[in-house]
Amino acid sequence: MTDGDDGAASMTAKKPAVGAPVAADAPPAGGAAVVDTPSVVQDVPVIEDAPVAERSTTTPADGAHQAPPVAAPPPGTDAPSAEHASEGPGAAVLRISGLRKRFGTTVAVDDIHLEVPVGSFYGIVGPNGAGKTTTLSMVTGLLRPDAGRIVVHGIDVWSEPVRAKRSIGVLPDRLRLFDRLTGAQLLFYSGTLRGLDVKTVRQRSADLIAAFGLEDAVNRLVADYSAGMTKKIALAAAMIHSPRLLVLDEPFESVDPVSAANLIDILQRYVESGGTVVLSSHGMDFVQRVCDHVAIIVSGRVLAAGTMAQVRGDGTLEDRFVQLAGGRKAAEGMEWLHTFSD
Amino acid sequence: MVAHFLRLKLAILGNTFRRSPWQIVALGIGLLYGLGVCVLAIVGLIALRIADVETARNVVVIGGSLVVLGFLLVPLAVGVEDTLDPRRFSLFGMPNDTLALGLLVAAFVGVPSLVIASVAASTVATWSRGVGPTLLAIVSAALVTVTCVLTARVTTSVAALVLATRRARETTGLVAIVALVLLSPVISVLANVDWGRDTMAVFSALAGTLSWTPLGAGWAVPADAAAGDYGAALLKLLIAAVVVAALGLAWRGIVARMLVTPEREAHVKTYGGLGLFDPFGSTTTGVIAARSLTYWLRDPRYRASLVMIPILPVVLFVPLSIAGAPVEALWLMPLPVMCLFLGWSIHNDVAYDSTAVWLHVASGTRGTADRIGRIVPVALVGIPLIIIGAIVSAHFHGNDDVLPSLIGVSSAILFAGVGISSVMSARFPYPAVQPGDSPFQQPQSSGAVAALLQSVSFLVAVVIASPAIVFAGLGIVYGEDWAQWSLASGIAISVISVWGGVVWGGYIFERRGPEILAFATRNSS
Repeated sequence: MTDGDDGAASMTAKKPAVGAPVAADAPPAGGAAVVDTPSVVQDVPVIEDAPVAERSTTTPADGAHQAPPVAAPPPGTDAPSAEHASEGPGAAVLRISGLRKRFGTTVAVDDIHLEVPVGSFYGIVGPNGAGKTTTLSMVTGLLRPDAGRIVVHGIDVWSEPVRAKRSIGVLPDRLRLFDRLTGAQLLFYSGTLRGLDVKTVRQRSADLIAAFGLEDAVNRLVADYSAGMTKKIALAAAMIHSPRLLVLDEPFESVDPVSAANLIDILQRYVESGGTVVLSSHGMDFVQRVCDHVAIIVSGRVLAAGTMAQVRGDGTLEDRFVQLAGGRKAAEGMEWLHTFSD
Repeated sequence: MVAHFLRLKLAILGNTFRRSPWQIVALGIGLLYGLGVCVLAIVGLIALRIADVETARNVVVIGGSLVVLGFLLVPLAVGVEDTLDPRRFSLFGMPNDTLALGLLVAAFVGVPSLVIASVAASTVATWSRGVGPTLLAIVSAALVTVTCVLTARVTTSVAALVLATRRARETTGLVAIVALVLLSPVISVLANVDWGRDTMAVFSALAGTLSWTPLGAGWAVPADAAAGDYGAALLKLLIAAVVVAALGLAWRGIVARMLVTPEREAHVKTYGGLGLFDPFGSTTTGVIAARSLTYWLRDPRYRASLVMIPILPVVLFVPLSIAGAPVEALWLMPLPVMCLFLGWSIHNDVAYDSTAVWLHVASGTRGTADRIGRIVPVALVGIPLIIIGAIVSAHFHGNDDVLPSLIGVSSAILFAGVGISSVMSARFPYPAVQPGDSPFQQPQSSGAVAALLQSVSFLVAVVIASPAIVFAGLGIVYGEDWAQWSLASGIAISVISVWGGVVWGGYIFERRGPEILAFATRNSS
């Protein structure tokens, strides 16, 4: 990962510490105070969380907070922040209402309602099979819902799919990539499919490659990548058209901690400049650390949603989650596991 | 422990019948065919009892050597999926010798092993010409059976050990095809030998040589005994026994080796720059074409069709010309046949993407861009093929008047296929081999629907192209202007088919994007 750090360091030289103290857990109430301009940092840090946030955003190259390498979209393009000011703070970039999906007799998603405010870092947590992936697939236009409405940036995803998809970046979980392409080709392919011109694609590819630390890998086939590298190139491809809304399904599964910290930096910079991240995960610590909003989904229903502070109350997110998801099962009946076979 | 392996192997065999009805029908036909060959071989061997020793020896030794060679080469070339790969047992912590023995015994349960055992056993009947030959025949039959089964085990495992990388796996199947093609000249040479005069001499010399090699030694033992040459018989018995012992040791060593050798890491190749994306870039259609073309060059599933298409006409040409069909007429056949398969080859193109097609769906890709991009590689191969192929075919046919007809028919067939493929691949994708799997592997759950869709897209292409074909036929029979009519109608059919296929297929692709992805998700492993 030294490449990523080099990239980070060189970028820092050019753009010193724009993002100052990143306290992502911070918006006070209902996301209403998410501020638009990147330079005005969300400056109401929840004190108890600050050290945690600091740990996650610090890279080995440099003890102080630094500007993460990429994510600030090039000026003059359809950057998330470009029209954003007109919407006013607290507007929802993603509205889900009455969403339902069943597969045969299994109800995967059962009447989900969610509002994701502009500029939030939204975590969706839930046990395996809770319907997280199904929900996110319907949000991104990959899976047709049985009922319900999904509105992204004011556009209904299922009645105007082509327009809506322009403002969404997608990192699906467990879907293949065109893995007979090299990393560079895949980025170029994704960018051009998203309607970018050659010059922009090339420039953004170079930025993303540096930011994600993929210099050594871009000329190899994606089929030969490790799982973590594949996630990284897929995430880079999801961001290349600078979408308003990034929908990431299990983005940090099998990514090593150093790369994950680097990616979180990039995502937090993106959120600061007005972008919105919705991600699913079952890593409670991780979500509590990096997300400012959270929804808990169990058996296809939203059991709790809101700012991190609202949802978790006094305890940790994990406590709240386990409480909502039905509590711990006592590990009984496995006494044989206490004696060993030899 | 050995009993466990036997039971496991029987369970695996039983499970091959738990498939879709059509697969069972295919399997049944395969078994009947195998059984038929087996019964023929047994009857033939028993009948050889009355032949003279020399003839019987030649047939048994040459045929037997071919069988051993088959057990040696087939696993290497085809890369048989090994249900009893020693590596699958590495986590059970069994002693190596137990495992090697258990797997070997289990290998005797299986169709090829049973066939070779019964064929070898029936050589005892061939050589029941006295006590000595009979006893030696029994021993050598056992040795030959063990040799074949051991050989297959050893080569299968060597293939798994050496050829385990993705890239190697992708090439072996293609090597097998090329080998097959190289065989066709051999067949025609064999067909031209003056069999009447020197057959016996050739066969005797060949059998004599083979009988001293590991391939034929076992089969030759009772023959030499029956001829009264007990010295040679015992020497060959020794060779056969040494071969079995050596194979056994090799098998033991390979099992030990495999248990501590995980699947080999692929050697990673790097590519500079953007490759084909550079010339094609900048438009959605362009990058999809570049992606498609890159896959045609890199992905063995596409390369397989590139290799198969030139082979098919050869496979048709050789037997037909041997059978005495007029060669001038035969020269008109290869080009349209190649075009037919080329256009047809993309009728399930979307399924080849597997779930990676999500990128097109999530990007809101225009359907027409997707359709055109996927057609580009076929057009890039097909158009030069038609031009050059038509000139070459007309030259060998000996009459340049057929040139317009050849071009008309070939392009009509190619682009009618392309058009129908554009619609079919968007509307009716069916399970295909997954990316990274061997192109010759059967996808899970294909069966009757796949067969139906394949034949429909094939036939519809021919029907759409039929005006050009009819005009070409009239041109050959009556001359006049019919050849020109064939050319004109062929080009018109091409343009209309491609345009219609792209528009209609594109409309379907846009509308059914999520359903196509749902299909891919259902069928990805």
